[in-house]
Amino acid sequence: MTDGGLKVEQPMESVEALSREAEGLKVKLEEERQKLNDVPLTTVAARLENLQQLNIKPRRVLKGHQGKVLCSDWCNDKRHLVSSSQDGKMIIWDAFTTNKEHAVTMPTTWVMACAYSPTGSMVACGGLDNKVTVYPLSFDEDVTQKKKAVGTHTSYMSCCTFPYSDQQILTGSGDSTCALWDVESGMMLQSFHGHQGDVMALDLAPSETGNTFVSGGCDKMALIWDMRTGQCVQNFEGHESDINTVKFYPSGDAIATGSDDATCRLFDLRADREIAVYTKESIIFGVNSVDFSVSGRLLFAGYNDYTVNVWDTLKCHRLTILYGHENRVSCLKMSPDGTSISTGSWDFTLRIWA
Amino acid sequence: MSSHQQLRVLVEQLQREANIDRMKTSEAINHLKRYISEHEAEDYLLVGFTSQKANPFREKSSCTVL
Repeated sequence: MTDGGLKVEQPMESVEALSREAEGLKVKLEEERQKLNDVPLTTVAARLENLQQLNIKPRRVLKGHQGKVLCSDWCNDKRHLVSSSQDGKMIIWDAFTTNKEHAVTMPTTWVMACAYSPTGSMVACGGLDNKVTVYPLSFDEDVTQKKKAVGTHTSYMSCCTFPYSDQQILTGSGDSTCALWDVESGMMLQSFHGHQGDVMALDLAPSETGNTFVSGGCDKMALIWDMRTGQCVQNFEGHESDINTVKFYPSGDAIATGSDDATCRLFDLRADREIAVYTKESIIFGVNSVDFSVSGRLLFAGYNDYTVNVWDTLKCHRLTILYGHENRVSCLKMSPDGTSISTGSWDFTLRIWA
Repeated sequence: MSSHQQLRVLVEQLQREANIDRMKTSEAINHLKRYISEHEAEDYLLVGFTSQKANPFREKSSCTVL
């Protein structure tokens, strides 16, 4: 090259150099992580006393869906639940009385995602229609009258949540992206590119100041995102099959994942690595949904074998099994105050345990 | 995106990841443990309810006050 500062495109060489650099960085990253991996969780937890017998019982059965229940979410009032199902229905429940307060028919089947807004004044849902639609809740008129399509993906919408306010919705999709939408204008505020497969689940960091969320998908990866910049700030691999569910540890310092590989895993954000695998030889079915108790000590996981397994997060033992559902447990959610847990199933019912 | 661009994005991503601060696993685990010990008293599913009245989903008592 001459000294003219002229840049000559040498794509072949650059590709090689970049590949080399990427490989070098990957090796360096793994070395760094390994260097700090001083004590495994099982060693630390071995010194802890075993937990006492849990006393969690089935308390309510919510019947009304005529198809597989695919998703559910608690209202912040700790009393109402929204659920969505394969037959295209979305139902608002009073979980105390088991009454249905609203039943909405969507213009699509497989409503895979639903979410309550923080104020409880609206719900969002969507699925095979590729759309996220918002329904303001009111007893004065038909809920469908005021529905509003907010965002559209190029494939099915698998998950959605309101990040801390009623004004925005975060969605994940089979088009392998996540997106943040403005509810009022329907504008896409940010999109998140990085997954190499369908996005199946997302969860917000527990602290508002964090402005991060985690997503998991069919590329077996869990990615941590900065909501403002749209950048992926961390990624975690380890699962051997699709990740179906992701959930932040209540302190925000770790994430739990559940996968078709029949395991749940715990990844610590600050150690930047996997620190636990929740597995047993007898458990061979996939995990669809996970959630923590308020302290983080219990990890609840819903499986394709119709059960909910309760794990000791630290000791990695299974503490108990919640039996009751007669088909796959598709969704599971801790109530906002941690007094109960709701589960939804392909047996068309939801159940409340406390 | 061309493979060249894709690689550049990947390298930038890896560089960002290489620059993050990491904690020893033992230290990170101690943080998780501390959070549990600070919050287990209010973890009803873990420690149970102090009285069944505190459980919003308790079985209804068979007698009612008229």
